[in-house]
Amino acid sequence: MSEHFPALILLAPLFGALVIGLFGLRDHRVCLPATLSALAVSLFAAIALARQVATGGPVDYFMAGWEEPLGIGIQLRADAINSLLLIVIAVVSLLAAVFTIRPAGERDTEKTPYFYILFLLLAVGLFGITIAGDAFNVFVLIEVTALSSYGLVAIGSSKRCKVAAFHYLIMGTVGASFYLLGVGYLYLKLGSLNMQDIHRILDADGTLHDTRAIRTAFVFILVGIWTKMALFPLHGWLPNAYSYSPSGSAAILAPLVTKVSVYVMVRMMVSVFGLDRLEMNVDWGHLVVWLAVIAIVAGSMMALAQREVKKMLCCLIIAEVGYMVGGAWLGDPGRWGITGTLYHILADALMTSCLFLAAGAFAKWLGVVKLDDLSGLFRKMPLAATGFVIGGLAIIGVPPTCGFYSKFYLIRGGIESGQWFYVAALIGSSLVNAVLFFRIFEIAYFGKNPVASHAHGHGSDDHGPHDHTHDEAPVVRREPPLHALVPVLIAAALLVLLGIFNGPIVEFIRTGLIETAKVVSNG
Amino acid sequence: MKAKIFASLSVLITGAILLYAVTDFPDFGDPGSPPNAGVPGGAPSASRYYLENTYRDTKVPNVVTAVLADYRGYDTMFETVVILTAGIAIFAILRVLRRDDAPAAPDPDPARTDHTIDGDHHRIIVGTTCRIAAPLIQIFALYVVAHGHYSPGGGFQGGVMLGASFILLALSGSLRETLTRFSESDYMRMAFIGIVIYAGLGLLPMWVGRNFLDYGALSGLFMTKGEEMARSHSMLGVEIGVAVTVMSIMFAMFANLSTRGRLRGGL
Repeated sequence: MSEHFPALILLAPLFGALVIGLFGLRDHRVCLPATLSALAVSLFAAIALARQVATGGPVDYFMAGWEEPLGIGIQLRADAINSLLLIVIAVVSLLAAVFTIRPAGERDTEKTPYFYILFLLLAVGLFGITIAGDAFNVFVLIEVTALSSYGLVAIGSSKRCKVAAFHYLIMGTVGASFYLLGVGYLYLKLGSLNMQDIHRILDADGTLHDTRAIRTAFVFILVGIWTKMALFPLHGWLPNAYSYSPSGSAAILAPLVTKVSVYVMVRMMVSVFGLDRLEMNVDWGHLVVWLAVIAIVAGSMMALAQREVKKMLCCLIIAEVGYMVGGAWLGDPGRWGITGTLYHILADALMTSCLFLAAGAFAKWLGVVKLDDLSGLFRKMPLAATGFVIGGLAIIGVPPTCGFYSKFYLIRGGIESGQWFYVAALIGSSLVNAVLFFRIFEIAYFGKNPVASHAHGHGSDDHGPHDHTHDEAPVVRREPPLHALVPVLIAAALLVLLGIFNGPIVEFIRTGLIETAKVVSNG
Repeated sequence: MKAKIFASLSVLITGAILLYAVTDFPDFGDPGSPPNAGVPGGAPSASRYYLENTYRDTKVPNVVTAVLADYRGYDTMFETVVILTAGIAIFAILRVLRRDDAPAAPDPDPARTDHTIDGDHHRIIVGTTCRIAAPLIQIFALYVVAHGHYSPGGGFQGGVMLGASFILLALSGSLRETLTRFSESDYMRMAFIGIVIYAGLGLLPMWVGRNFLDYGALSGLFMTKGEEMARSHSMLGVEIGVAVTVMSIMFAMFANLSTRGRLRGGL
């Protein structure tokens, strides 16, 4: 069984979706257990796979057993670069699934099973993209991911989310088409779709990578992936899509979709084109770092202008994407930039998960949408607010949360490659984040005029009226129900754990980076 | 107007970049081009491998089918999942379910809304013709599905034809009548059953310790002598799965799009 873990990771959610489709449409009680157990199996397989990678190096899995010659079948490949991301995807989607549990008695809608089907298919797509070792297979799973995310955004009842989903659909389709065109050009010139094989071919003929077709292919793949990850000028779809979608959808979409796209970019750079060859085109890299600097500045500025909690978090995602793209393209000889990017993918997925889960809880149980509505939050939801604070501290980059260490590695990469503007943008953006979050903390802690709670009565844990009384109105402590509170706290705890254990994790990623480059090129 | 100029400019630039690289391409149909002959340093060309070994590996004369359903069957499974996802997404967005919008809109005179073409005599000609044509289309579709091993065709094409036959019935007659034969619960269930057939056939080999989708392990199940025929038979099974999903989703999309998710009235 253990050799099947790479396939099991994505087959479990696929079959979970099928079970819901066959039995859950009639009986909605099937949906949640099927979702949770499928994702638990994925989590188990992802952890087991990471252990295999840690002890025995990269794990290959050849679909249908077509192994030789390389490239006739489809390869799945788990190595030190992606095995931790697989775990994070499983954890974040499991947390989001737990968050969507409906308290007993709450009205369940007829569309619940469809939500869970799309949710699981999204997880299938994300796992599939991450573990794929074949450039075309990545495209197919990008499609699965994209279509299910359009559905998850549009499944909300408001009109705005439908418009946002349509915008997202147009941009997403353009991005996917660009990626496909790029892969097509690669195939025309290299005759292979297997990532390892492409890398070997480029290694064997030193002039090939400098041809027009390969350069164009790379540009198209990059621009396609950038659209998918919402790098600054291509970010237009993101804020509305993530802030107007239902809380349960946003809790899986916002942390994972952009991060997995960043991973695809890194995978293309490391395992397909090769870092050595990219470093020959340093000027090119500088251009991308400049794009990233613009993205960081623009994302931070837009975040400052927002008045809604989720919109602000979405703008922060845009800035964070800038961090990661810039880090990957620094091209410093020690490869700290790309290490930082890979670590930041994990860190940012968990941070965004924590913040969106908490924001979802505020929106659902307190009716808080705007920043100003947050006043008195600490009295109403002390525990959930603490989770939000830890998430915020991680985004700012306060030790010992993971945000500090990822910025540390990124800045080290920036200094070693002499990209001072990137370093300045990172530090500046951290300051902006500090301003943003301390403003929120201030409103939430010292906010003068606590607005009357808009909670709809359901879901409060009924702690009874607490003894806190405010000047004007008595503030009732109403933590979100356990199923929403626990994911927030777990995500917050993971942020700290990921920070504390950054040493071994980064070492693992770095051995993977070096090993992948070596194994791939010596074949 | 400004947006239009901007859009045309970006299209022109994209096209120019794509064309810029075209000069670098191998000649059209060149047997020595990288996809056909392979590139030194890489693995031997996959397409040459397919052409030379498909019949030996799978006993399927149509190489395209073998590549699609066996060598790269994993991609094809997810292409089918893409179709399923699109159908589910459309359903999730459009379908109006009574429990969701509290006061269900009263059905305004079913006789009128449901038979928009009804009442005038055209329907006799059109309806009768289509009713005669539909079974013929379906038989041809089944042939396309089953004959994919030997000639162009397969699950996607056959499934589209099967779906089109139902759409034709709904267009020429009435959607309500067609829904009595192929009801919503039927097509939703069948859309999933198609993937279950595909992924289930892929899962069976894992039972005996082989990789996912390695149909060669199914020679016991199909009672074939060698692994090759087992592959060939499984490909037929997989094509049937694809056809079932594609057919159901085609019709589901039509039914939901044409009636704004109410499955009443419509075109």
